[in-house]
Amino acid sequence: MSSHREAPEISKDPVADSTDLYAFVSPDNPDTVTLIANYVPLEGPDGGPNFYEFGNDVVYTVNIDNDSDGDADIVYEFRFETDVTDPGTFLYNTGPITSLTSGSWNRRQRFSVTRIDHNGRATLLGSELACPPCNIGPLSTPDYPSLAQAAVHDLPGDVRVFAGQRAEGFYVDLGAIFDLGVLRPFEQDHTTFGLTGTGIGKMAAGVNATKSLNVHSIAIQVPVAELTSNRRTPSGVGAPNAVIGVWTAAYRQKVRMWDGEGDHVWAGPYVQVSRLGNPLVNEVLIPMGKKDYWNSQAPAGDHQFAPFYANPQLAQLLPVLYPGVFPNLAAYNAGTPNRADLVAILLTGLPAGVVPGFQNFTGTTQADMLRLNMAVPPASSPQNTGILGGDLAGFPNGRRVFDDVVTIEVRALAGAVLDLVDPSFTPDAAAGAVDQGLTSSPADTAAMGTENYLPSFPYLGVPASGFAVPAA
Amino acid sequence: MAVSRRTFLGRGSMAVAAAGVLSSVPGLSGLLGATESEAPAADSSVADLGSTDTALSEPLVAHVRDASTGEITLFSGTREIVLRDPQLAGRIVRAAR
Repeated sequence: MSSHREAPEISKDPVADSTDLYAFVSPDNPDTVTLIANYVPLEGPDGGPNFYEFGNDVVYTVNIDNDSDGDADIVYEFRFETDVTDPGTFLYNTGPITSLTSGSWNRRQRFSVTRIDHNGRATLLGSELACPPCNIGPLSTPDYPSLAQAAVHDLPGDVRVFAGQRAEGFYVDLGAIFDLGVLRPFEQDHTTFGLTGTGIGKMAAGVNATKSLNVHSIAIQVPVAELTSNRRTPSGVGAPNAVIGVWTAAYRQKVRMWDGEGDHVWAGPYVQVSRLGNPLVNEVLIPMGKKDYWNSQAPAGDHQFAPFYANPQLAQLLPVLYPGVFPNLAAYNAGTPNRADLVAILLTGLPAGVVPGFQNFTGTTQADMLRLNMAVPPASSPQNTGILGGDLAGFPNGRRVFDDVVTIEVRALAGAVLDLVDPSFTPDAAAGAVDQGLTSSPADTAAMGTENYLPSFPYLGVPASGFAVPAA
Repeated sequence: MAVSRRTFLGRGSMAVAAAGVLSSVPGLSGLLGATESEAPAADSSVADLGSTDTALSEPLVAHVRDASTGEITLFSGTREIVLRDPQLAGRIVRAAR
């Protein structure tokens, strides 16, 4: 998954587990940038009576580096509180929830958002902001789209925020990929380790494992000029203030003690327990023994992880799992791999001259951040393969909700763009053809199971309802 | 360039010195709490503390990290105080037996 359950420790702490991060110039409001950090992976929509919520004891942040040192210069910090109207009932709601102030809604959350600048100055942008309820069903949450939209809050300074349940927008064939690297559209080429009678061997359509699942999203839309180092809108793609680096992180206090009466107390400073910049990095590139540590570290120190980007295990495995399909990659791997392409895409950004008319280079500091060149306007004909598909407004220039990041990164790992930094390398034909079979074409921005993206803030779709999508 | 964490912590802390790294976000570090190194008290006897000093408004947790060196970490509120007091560490260890 993008970053769902990607490390041993955080997989046991869902409310602090960042799953996806998006950063893009708002297509319907291009003077602004939208940042979305998702948490709480793989929510079954019918997971009551204690439906999903944010952690009151977790501090969530969306961080922006605008001077290319891998440290945050702007932090948007989100904290949540939960109110229980009637502790005498077991019910989440005692009647239809028809508004965010409905008396029949028993357990609700509210949040604050604070902007912290590079001087450490904290500005409370909003407090007592209502989250929407989870989408339970037609009796409990009738007209859910309107109910949730009421939880979009406009704050001073042209800032817009939302925090609550959304439909999972990330699409991936988990069941196949984690079964030793199967990609169903290409499974006939998989080695299958010599096993027979597995049912694997014929080309098959991809399966979106996250279809009908929900997440909890923290979304904020801010003016472009609020994010730049000089608080001015960049004049062009090459402007020194055009690129920002973005990551999300979650923090918990160091000590937790159960009081023996069903409650617990916390003590000590907050420490980082989860972070996410580029999709799939901790998931796929970082080895098991380093994953929890990676989650505790700041991007500015990512040089220590650079070897895992420069010689990723999955790039080594592809020619092994698919014999004869990636001969050039196999030959490259047999040498001394140094994947400068992946290091550039994920750790430093792409310098000018690599992709015509584009750059999101942030200097030599290696830091895993989602880099967004805010001077690139929204695409009129977006491609889910982003820059690989010639769409400069898509991943790895930030990330939009519909970008097929799995296909993009698998292609990159397979060497599809290695020739950009190593002209002696010729990409295998398969490298540019691999996909997970969940989109009909690069122009398909409503991938299987995620057709409900919204055209406006918060862009991720109305969550699946528990009544409509019972557990399988 | 962001200000250093040490600079930020210095504004509101009575700590002798800051130690450890909480976050790459200087401002956030201050809001999320601090790790501090305290010199051991001249007299750590609880009996010498006034009644006001013994009233805890929030949980206080002591973690004896290394009894041999007397390294004890105290967690209170959003603070973490590291002190070295072999005698106190020894008394805690004996009390826990």
